[in-house]
Amino acid sequence: MQTQNNMLWVEKYRPKKIDDLTGNDEAKALFLEWLKNKRHTKKAVLLYGSPGVGKTTLVLAASQELEFSVIEMNASDTRSEKTINAVAKPATSYKALDNYTKNKTSGNVLFLDEVDGIAGNEDRGGVNAILKVIEESLVPIILAANDPDIEKLRPLKKVCLLVRFQQVRIPLIIALLQKICMLEHVSAEFEALERIAQNSKGDVRSAINDLQSLSEENHRLTLQDTMMLTSRNKDITLDDMLKRYFSAQNIAETSTMLAFSNIDYDDFLLSVSDNLPKRYSNPSELAKAYDYVSRADLFRGRVGTENWHLLKYFYNALTLASAINPLSYTPFTFISPPIRIITLFWTKGKRSTLDAICGKIGAQCHVSHKTAKHDFIPYIRVLLQKNSKSPLVGWFKFTPEEVDFLLKMGRF
Amino acid sequence: MTIVLNCKGFKLPRVEREKFVNLLHLGLDYDRNAGLFSIKSFNNIEKVIDAASDILGDDIVFLQHCIRCGKDFPCRGCNYIELCSTKNLPFSCVCPQCLRVRKNFETTYLTQF
Amino acid sequence: MTSNEEALMWVEKYRPQTLTEVVGLKDIVESLQAFMRTPKTMPHLMFAGVPGTGKTTLALAIAHTLYGANWKSFTLELNASDERGIDTVRDRIKDFSRYSRTGFGETIPFALIILDECDQMTGPAQTALRRIMEIGSRTSRFILICNQSSKIIEPIQSRCAIFRFSRVEKQAMKQHLIYIAEKEGHTLIPEAADRIVDFAEGDLRHAINVLQTASAYKEGIIDEKTVSLVIGEASPSQVQKMIRKALYGDFMDARKIMYDIMGNFGFSGTEIIRQAQREIFKMSDLTAEQKAELSNITGEYDYRLTQGANSDIQLSALLAQFAKFGKGIEESYADPK
Repeated sequence: MQTQNNMLWVEKYRPKKIDDLTGNDEAKALFLEWLKNKRHTKKAVLLYGSPGVGKTTLVLAASQELEFSVIEMNASDTRSEKTINAVAKPATSYKALDNYTKNKTSGNVLFLDEVDGIAGNEDRGGVNAILKVIEESLVPIILAANDPDIEKLRPLKKVCLLVRFQQVRIPLIIALLQKICMLEHVSAEFEALERIAQNSKGDVRSAINDLQSLSEENHRLTLQDTMMLTSRNKDITLDDMLKRYFSAQNIAETSTMLAFSNIDYDDFLLSVSDNLPKRYSNPSELAKAYDYVSRADLFRGRVGTENWHLLKYFYNALTLASAINPLSYTPFTFISPPIRIITLFWTKGKRSTLDAICGKIGAQCHVSHKTAKHDFIPYIRVLLQKNSKSPLVGWFKFTPEEVDFLLKMGRF
Repeated sequence: MTIVLNCKGFKLPRVEREKFVNLLHLGLDYDRNAGLFSIKSFNNIEKVIDAASDILGDDIVFLQHCIRCGKDFPCRGCNYIELCSTKNLPFSCVCPQCLRVRKNFETTYLTQF
Repeated sequence: MTSNEEALMWVEKYRPQTLTEVVGLKDIVESLQAFMRTPKTMPHLMFAGVPGTGKTTLALAIAHTLYGANWKSFTLELNASDERGIDTVRDRIKDFSRYSRTGFGETIPFALIILDECDQMTGPAQTALRRIMEIGSRTSRFILICNQSSKIIEPIQSRCAIFRFSRVEKQAMKQHLIYIAEKEGHTLIPEAADRIVDFAEGDLRHAINVLQTASAYKEGIIDEKTVSLVIGEASPSQVQKMIRKALYGDFMDARKIMYDIMGNFGFSGTEIIRQAQREIFKMSDLTAEQKAELSNITGEYDYRLTQGANSDIQLSALLAQFAKFGKGIEESYADPK
């Protein structure tokens, strides 16, 4: 079947049943006990442990089996209290809404993945925002964190049942790889599987990815094939990745590197885009590279939450952009963190002022924020420049800061 | 000497109330009828083992449970002991024999799925 | 024409309050007046047409006609592009129909809900809207406003009487501008009026904003020079600057401007790319073929932007294509065949 062939094995073999999940039996039992019977004792549960050990898989399988609807929210997309409130609050108050529970009998759960991404960020109110969500939620909440070190998440301890996930043991990973080899008709040397499992450091996801990338081509896997596996270094920095990406001599090299890294691919994509012009000075090469990056972004957009098989094309497109002209590489300093993050950080305040201004114009002139921004602000700006004491200020109820903002705004 | 325990249930000598409460607090469960302790929460598993070995006055090693043949076996003899972050803790695993014997793997595979 | 004395923006001050005061739009107004005579028979309405052609004005005029001075108590104005999701829209409509009275008893047994920019709503949101309309139709009438009716799902269209608004006719617009200027104690030179009309491309709202801004430059006479000054000062220049930088090989600067537009002016990727599309055709140093080619490239990235995950990446990629194209132009000059 075509679609099956294109699938990532991690998705294809993601256990659909709780029993099929490899390792961490005790964590499973504790979590299920909570979900079935103990939800009244603690409103939230926090699953924590290093990546790829089955936290998300357990949540998805359990909710499927126990007929809960999962409202999923990836916390790494939402690094501020405002966004959390926007996304999590409506979800938590859906309890009474019939259309979400129509086909399910057990109700909703809110699932917040990667909470350590926000929780660590105290200046943006991360932990407090999560605590608030838990407090106000009408439905049970499942949190997951990748950081095996619980210290950062200490404030959550009081309100959450903690469930610790251990690294999956090497024999268990080998057993799982054996199973997949059998189903995919891969004949693999034991030592090869052993090496992949050892190399994964307890991360089932990365082990399966390695197996797929090494054996999918010709359905055979020898110890020799695994020699190119470089140890998965979980602390590899974005800069290291960029350096290897931009200096790659061919796409095979990039492909291997991307497959064997655990870096956040959204951040990586942004950084590649930022640094591309520093890598390619020739406009034709730059345009070609950007075309691939743009395609990678397209696939990223379409992957969404269900079309995971497209992730393969995302990596493929991203890989192609890396070696447009391998010989032209000379080392350069990287732009990081992503420009966008710096830009948005700078302008968050401005943005809300602009929103407020647009809202006031909209209220008086019956137009949307967008129309206010395009068709009114450019003129009101000039009108105020001609006369900053204009009665318009009072009519729109602009604050002195807003007037100041408009005067300094400059031309679009 | 090392004391070897099976994770399903084990006996501990009578301890004073304070220690007993602490054991339950750390995540042990106590079955009054059988007089057996079992492990309920693995959040503080290292501390549980420390406390238990303190009571027993000896090192404790838990046996592992093989998901393929169902037998209990010790971590001693495992090839991956150096890389394992959970050695000697009571989790399920696959015993060295089962891992290498393909026939055994196939029967497990066929019966289990 | 009566004027709304309190309003200080002229677009509001000279917004017609009743159907009879509306300039142009004769056919539409006549049909609507028929509904006004027996309001009970009024169906849901849909107004479709480009911006600044009187859609909101007519919707508000209907509210005035039905409910008089107290129209605000019986009218809910919502803008789909401002509201955060269909749930907010649903909640607000629910609250409104709960607390607002059901119109003026027997003769007008409904309240009015004006929902602007409906075509900005996603498919699922429109489906939800359809259900809201069904539930609400006992107590409310909807006026849906959009730019393109084709972007509205069929089931909604079939529940509405659809009225299409065309661009305001040049001569009518010119006369209206001269009338407003006179009322405000200014003389609008005909050539200056022509300049505004050309610039506004049938958007009366935009035209009136230009006129009011021009009036602030000089007391008395509004001439062509002042109008040009206003247009220059108020029309977007950053986007064109960005395109030029890219075409002339300064990709880094071009991208910097792009982030600046996004950060400082709060424009979205889509807004920038659509503006770029317009700017290309204003660039006098490009041939018609070159403009067409650039527009073609822009179109491709406009599409990708709607599908992709990061608009800044798509815009950067577009700028890179511009840079490549610019290089091509340069080479063709250096080495003419």
